[in-house]
Amino acid sequence: MLYDLIIIGGGPAGITAGIYAARKKLKTLLITKEWGGQITKAVDIENWPGTKKISGMGLMQQMTEHLKQFEIEIKEGKEVIDLDKKKENFIIRDNDQEYESKSVIIATGKIPRLLNVPGENEFKGKGVSICSTCDAPMFKDKDVAVAGGGNAGFNVALDMIKYAKKVYILDFFPEMKGDPITKDKLAQSGIVEFITDVAIKEIKGKKFVESLIYEDRKTGKDFEIKVAGVFISVGMMPKVGFAQKLVDLNQIGEIIIDKDNYTKTPGVFAAGDITDIKYEQIVIAAGEGAKAALAATEYLKNK
Amino acid sequence: MVRVFSTPSCPYCVALKGFLKEHNIEFEDIDVSQNVEAQKEMIDKSGQYGVPVIDIDGEIIVGFNQERIKQLLKLI
Repeated sequence: MLYDLIIIGGGPAGITAGIYAARKKLKTLLITKEWGGQITKAVDIENWPGTKKISGMGLMQQMTEHLKQFEIEIKEGKEVIDLDKKKENFIIRDNDQEYESKSVIIATGKIPRLLNVPGENEFKGKGVSICSTCDAPMFKDKDVAVAGGGNAGFNVALDMIKYAKKVYILDFFPEMKGDPITKDKLAQSGIVEFITDVAIKEIKGKKFVESLIYEDRKTGKDFEIKVAGVFISVGMMPKVGFAQKLVDLNQIGEIIIDKDNYTKTPGVFAAGDITDIKYEQIVIAAGEGAKAALAATEYLKNK
Repeated sequence: MVRVFSTPSCPYCVALKGFLKEHNIEFEDIDVSQNVEAQKEMIDKSGQYGVPVIDIDGEIIVGFNQERIKQLLKLI
């Protein structure tokens, strides 16, 4: 089986690319590990034109239903592990199958960056969380730590001060990058302690998280704080490992594209948060997906 | 009996409850953000803090695991 187009990723960029490709009658396969990606965590979306307010899950459901009414093949729950060239075409591998296509759109987006320290994985759901809107109420009257002092970390802390007894915010750098207005608001709560220029080294506990160890980067000294929860908010990272042979990446690992979504390899396109496009918004990712599908259509026509 | 332990603002909880309603499954909706006892029960039974947790006739499932939930509710 030779496809015209394989789309990797089932977020707004991938889904929109799928809709456009199907309407252009391309023989298309969309492979995704899960639907929606980051948008499933959004509580309310109020900037998707035509819909005043919708939950991330709701929007994702509408998008997938819309996609599935077209003629398009879909593989769900599959993670692509390799993308390579084979003469004119491309070979894509997931854990148990291989597919061949004349063109490819990479739209795998970003996933939360992790700390990569001992205990982080072990205590996932047992005190370690990446979803404060979900889990904040479980830490009523407890002490918690937030890893990351950017705006995302500050928003996590805002969720936490409603419930927790004490909130530590830890940042790797000497200055926190989050907005000063939010910082003031957090400081005014009287229960937030800001700790900068530190590296988190370990999350410890028995059945559940009990403490966190960090190193003061100036003195090299270790400190242990007693916490029941650790909320990780240290940014997002691109999911691009499988594609490295055929695309160029920028310093933070995003795929470099031109204004028509071409990567350095003709026939391989990329769209959405996985790319070096600066602004990361649902409406932008969807638009980029549409552009990539149209560019792929044109590429196939001229082949 | 089906019981759902959730918090009001968690997207997967909303999705899970929507799924149950869609399939006309009756369930007890337990808001653990307002109920410390239920919170304790949920942590004891599931061995973790994350929501949602669904209890289907004593079987505990963490997260919105659609396949497993469908199986237990005999929806497939």
